[in-house]
Amino acid sequence: MIKILLALALSTSLTAGLAHAGDFPYGSFNLAEMDMKSYAADPSAHAAVLQEFGKSWISTSGDRIRLIHEYHVKIKIFDDKAFEQGKIEIPLHKSDNEYFESIQSLSGVTYYTDNGSVQRAELDPKQIFTENSSKYLDVKKFAMPNLRPGCVIEYKYTLESPYLNNFRKWEFQTDIPKASSEYEVRIPAAYNYKVTLQGFKKLDNTNAEVEKECFSIGGNKCDCSKISYVMNNVPAFVEEAHMTAPKNYLSAIYFELNDYVNLYNGAKVKVTQDWADIDRGLKSDEEFGSQMKRTGLFKEALPKILTGSTTDLDKAKAIYAYIQKNIKYNHYYGIYTDNGIRRALDTHSGSVADINLALVAALNAAGLNTEAVLLSTRDHGIINKLYPVKSDFNYVIAKVNIADKSYLLDATDPMLPFGLLPIHCINDQGRVMSLNKPSYWIDLKASQKEGNTFILDLTLQTNGKLKGTFTRYASGYQAYNNRKEIKKFNTVDEYIENLDERLTKVKILESKIQNLDSLDAPLAETYQVEIDLYDGADHNRLAFNPFILNRITENPFKLAERDYPIDWGAPSDTRYMLTLHMPEQYMVEAPPATAALSLPNKGGMFVSQFASQDNAYTFSHIIQINNSIYSPQEYPYLKELFNKIVQAEKADIIFKKKS
Amino acid sequence: MIRLLYGLAFCLLAYPCFAQTNYEAASIPKDLMPYASAVVRKMEQSTEVKDFDNTVENFKIAVTILNKNGDEHADIVIPYDKGNRIKLIKGAVYDEYGKLVKKFSESNFSDYSAADGFSLFTDNRLKHYHPATISYPYTIEYEVQIASKQSLNFSDWVPNHFLGTAVEDSRYEFVCKPDFNLRYKEFNFPGKVITGTNAAGQKTYTWEVKTLKAIRNEPYSPDYEQIKTVVKFAPENFYYEGINGSFNNWAELGKWQYENLLKSRTALPNETISYIKALTDTIKSPKQKAKVIYEYMQNRTRYISIQVGIGGFRPFLASDVDRLNYGDCKALVNYTQSLLKAASIESYYCIVYGNSRKRSLLTDFASMSQANHVILCVPFKNDTTWLECTSQKIPFGFLGDFTDDRWVLACTPDGGKLLHTPKYTADQNRQIRKANLTMSENGGLTGNMMTTFEGAQYENRALDDNNQDTKKEIEQLKEFYPIDNLEVESFSYKRQKGIAPVNQEDIKLAATDFAAQSAGKYFFMVNPVNRVSGVPRELRTRTTAVYINRGYTDIDEITYTVPAGLKIETNPLFIEINKPFGQFKATATMNTQNQLVYKRQIKMIDGTYPKESYQELVDFYKQVSDADNYKVTLAKRN
Repeated sequence: MIKILLALALSTSLTAGLAHAGDFPYGSFNLAEMDMKSYAADPSAHAAVLQEFGKSWISTSGDRIRLIHEYHVKIKIFDDKAFEQGKIEIPLHKSDNEYFESIQSLSGVTYYTDNGSVQRAELDPKQIFTENSSKYLDVKKFAMPNLRPGCVIEYKYTLESPYLNNFRKWEFQTDIPKASSEYEVRIPAAYNYKVTLQGFKKLDNTNAEVEKECFSIGGNKCDCSKISYVMNNVPAFVEEAHMTAPKNYLSAIYFELNDYVNLYNGAKVKVTQDWADIDRGLKSDEEFGSQMKRTGLFKEALPKILTGSTTDLDKAKAIYAYIQKNIKYNHYYGIYTDNGIRRALDTHSGSVADINLALVAALNAAGLNTEAVLLSTRDHGIINKLYPVKSDFNYVIAKVNIADKSYLLDATDPMLPFGLLPIHCINDQGRVMSLNKPSYWIDLKASQKEGNTFILDLTLQTNGKLKGTFTRYASGYQAYNNRKEIKKFNTVDEYIENLDERLTKVKILESKIQNLDSLDAPLAETYQVEIDLYDGADHNRLAFNPFILNRITENPFKLAERDYPIDWGAPSDTRYMLTLHMPEQYMVEAPPATAALSLPNKGGMFVSQFASQDNAYTFSHIIQINNSIYSPQEYPYLKELFNKIVQAEKADIIFKKKS
Repeated sequence: MIRLLYGLAFCLLAYPCFAQTNYEAASIPKDLMPYASAVVRKMEQSTEVKDFDNTVENFKIAVTILNKNGDEHADIVIPYDKGNRIKLIKGAVYDEYGKLVKKFSESNFSDYSAADGFSLFTDNRLKHYHPATISYPYTIEYEVQIASKQSLNFSDWVPNHFLGTAVEDSRYEFVCKPDFNLRYKEFNFPGKVITGTNAAGQKTYTWEVKTLKAIRNEPYSPDYEQIKTVVKFAPENFYYEGINGSFNNWAELGKWQYENLLKSRTALPNETISYIKALTDTIKSPKQKAKVIYEYMQNRTRYISIQVGIGGFRPFLASDVDRLNYGDCKALVNYTQSLLKAASIESYYCIVYGNSRKRSLLTDFASMSQANHVILCVPFKNDTTWLECTSQKIPFGFLGDFTDDRWVLACTPDGGKLLHTPKYTADQNRQIRKANLTMSENGGLTGNMMTTFEGAQYENRALDDNNQDTKKEIEQLKEFYPIDNLEVESFSYKRQKGIAPVNQEDIKLAATDFAAQSAGKYFFMVNPVNRVSGVPRELRTRTTAVYINRGYTDIDEITYTVPAGLKIETNPLFIEINKPFGQFKATATMNTQNQLVYKRQIKMIDGTYPKESYQELVDFYKQVSDADNYKVTLAKRN
């Protein structure tokens, strides 16, 4: 995993640094900005941030402690593709009528050229809307007026927030380039935040100074650290295929409240600290540890669930299946239970934590040692390992330990086999939370390879059709995906009907699907087929491409190079084997070339083989991807591997009549 | 515009949803099961016009969800806003055996803004509920009642809203006071409406259907709107947002809209009027004036959707658009119309159903909610011109495939007029490609490719005119042209904007390993750039007519200059197919200058064809697909 994290020292080593820029004046433009035709560092950009300044501090006016965030930006819009930049949404979080974020002042102006002179158009306050999006979210929305290609927009606002634990983060990098981005924070010495800088780019400047007695509450005063972080020439972030959350690679700065001093009584209040604190907190949390301990809820149901299970593994599987079937996932993420596991069991509905903590409790109730594992899903980003941040985690699963093996379980999806995590959980490492041990890290890896095997045995008939059997075995995520595909249909018959109709050249005569509901076994599909290939079988020459099914026709890797790792989620093994029985009068004119190519460090391989015996010709391809993640340096090798595969699968074999 | 999952239902019955509640899944008639993922057991929908400013729609439904695919039926989404208040929501979930599992009420619903991610702002809201169930089948039964202070818009009755759903019994009742005159229009309704008078002396109209089988999704089928059973309703006299009105036809509805929603919205500041006059004074031809004004509008506005107030029917003031330089389709059309008026050019505000799948307003049934978009019609003498006002790029007078070839309503001072937008024919929707490529000894390819796009294909390349050679656009080109190892060395676009616009793309390309080599022979696909994307699936039984929405013609000619001394070893490519719905011809021949010349021409002709021709269409595409995948083998001449 490539993730660049830097812990920034905050309260120590304050240096009286250079004078820094600070906010820039609002409401003025210069002709150079107006005349700019493209952004020099990235001429393909449709818009660029010319200047961006943010400022956050803790205010105590009216004896209410508030986080104040000022934001001010000036954006150059080169063409109409970037007009979306003029549509602004500011999310405002809310808990109830007392506890909510609000915008205190908001103004904006568009500078545009009309008939050779620069005009200004002010944002009309009547055209600023507040949308009551949901119970926990309002959104301020507005559109900047009078956008033209070449215009510059500028807006600023002040946001007031009661949520002190999350000191406002700052994103230096977005999908448009920035000429300069500066963030100034003023943090009272009474508040101690942990600061993290993330991404590939370094800060161009940081400056810290002390402001005397800048903060007071209840008559008590303390000093503040005033720090500014500057990044210049920040490139736009471009998303690429086969990658995890962009957030892992974007340059941004994050703050997490570590502790603060209550200035009324001088007591130091810890907010987050080390793992021991987090462990202790979670173990006793009503919505976490207490739920894990609710083994009593299962006392009654267990004997029935475990009927017929003798080994510990059988028992674990039975309980896993029971939770999978009995609580339907309501698509809420989070590490804390939503309604608690009792209610989840009663209503048959629950969040990730409801379901998986119920699983932990049920397994423990059966005497199986089980822990909970906190993790961050792929789209949520990779966990920061420098120091614990609870909000980095958004998901919880179960880890059952049987003899010397352990199994990672997620019961939210009834189609997942025992021990296979859904792909969104395969993201670096998770933190194991046990009721009686300190927490520790564990690798989150797919427990099974993705397996995909095609076996075809076909005979050319005198009518020019190929007849025979086609069998497909799938395991791991491939089986999961195929099962999902089949279950999309009302019945298996309708699935087969659709498959038959979709493969226009193939007629399915008979079919058999095995292990559709036995999730632990490979999914097997067997079809008796007739393939419409030639018009009769009496030709001097017949061209045949063995890759009737599952042919890879395009290289998935098209970029010249890439900066980020290639993440497949799981290793895979794909095999294709076809045996063709030809009428006696044919012989091979041009046999397909055999090929073999390996990735460095046993990372994977591609092998193509051909053999003939009597009138039977056998083709086989094996593609093995042995790692889940490849570094950017390995990209050219992967690209070349697929290039070879595409080439090999393109080639026909030519049969000709014996003379 | 407002649409409940099934349509809205109205009436005043605050009882348990249905008296009879045998929702046992096993009691569903067996012949309703094929292709069904859900079965509507019973639906009772009603609309009561208590007074012109008091309409109550009541909707009661019980649906049995057979499997996961039917879950969308259990997703209850109720749109509401200030004018449409929810008076009642309640419901219950039953298990496979018809046993009550759970009751729910309004407090179980989540409440959201109806923001669609498309509008900047809307004051419409949604209430949403989805039951948690762990096993199939299950039945959800619910009742929703919505009151509105109007009598202009009524929900349609649609017994079978989705493909893949069967219906046991569905009933609709319209109840109104004696002086309210209802107009209605039935589609695919097998029975007959029953009219009468109830105990309170109100007029009643009742429709009912029983046992509708599930309709399966079939490729190339007509709009589902044309297949399903629907009854639409409209008033004669009505009240809406403080305005009284009446209409019996499009002429009157168009007049009403003009008088009440449009007429007062067109005033512009004097400076703007004089600016427009100065801009166009020296131009003689009215059409040229209109073009200059249209381009002026395009250059200074952008499309932003804001839905507030009068049900999304009334445009923003033209003066607001003049000041803010943005607006939704109504606002931008109204603004353009006002600008044209400043230059004394008459134009019509036209409401239309916009979609690339063509749908006309119903010429014989006028009602308010058939449209979703607005365009502008400029009736020059013998030269009617149409303007799409929400795009900064679209050429003057060109509509594209969103509003072409359909009936629209022009709202004019003389009343509504049904007009037909221009059709782009199969011959006009052309894509013509010519490529000169050279294949090297090692199978690599270099050369030039020129393509022109016309008619509805004009917009095939939504790339920027003035922003070229960017990495992203090259990546897009690589997706358009699936040639392995394709490198685009340079490309350009030349656009001739006009009523029949043409976009010309020129590409200089290279690709290594284009041809596979083995034993001194070369193998490659002669059509690497314009293959049909797939063959429509075969159907064991076809139930609907074959419908081709929009015709087109593609002509490709690729000349490969190959190393000397090669000949075609495979069977030569020569195919020609002629069918009522389409024509195809492809050839590949070697000439004497070491050139392999590949020619392909396909023309698909829009229209409706009998359902029996579906297999022919599949066979047609099979043959096209085979020809498109034709691989040539070139071997040394002996």
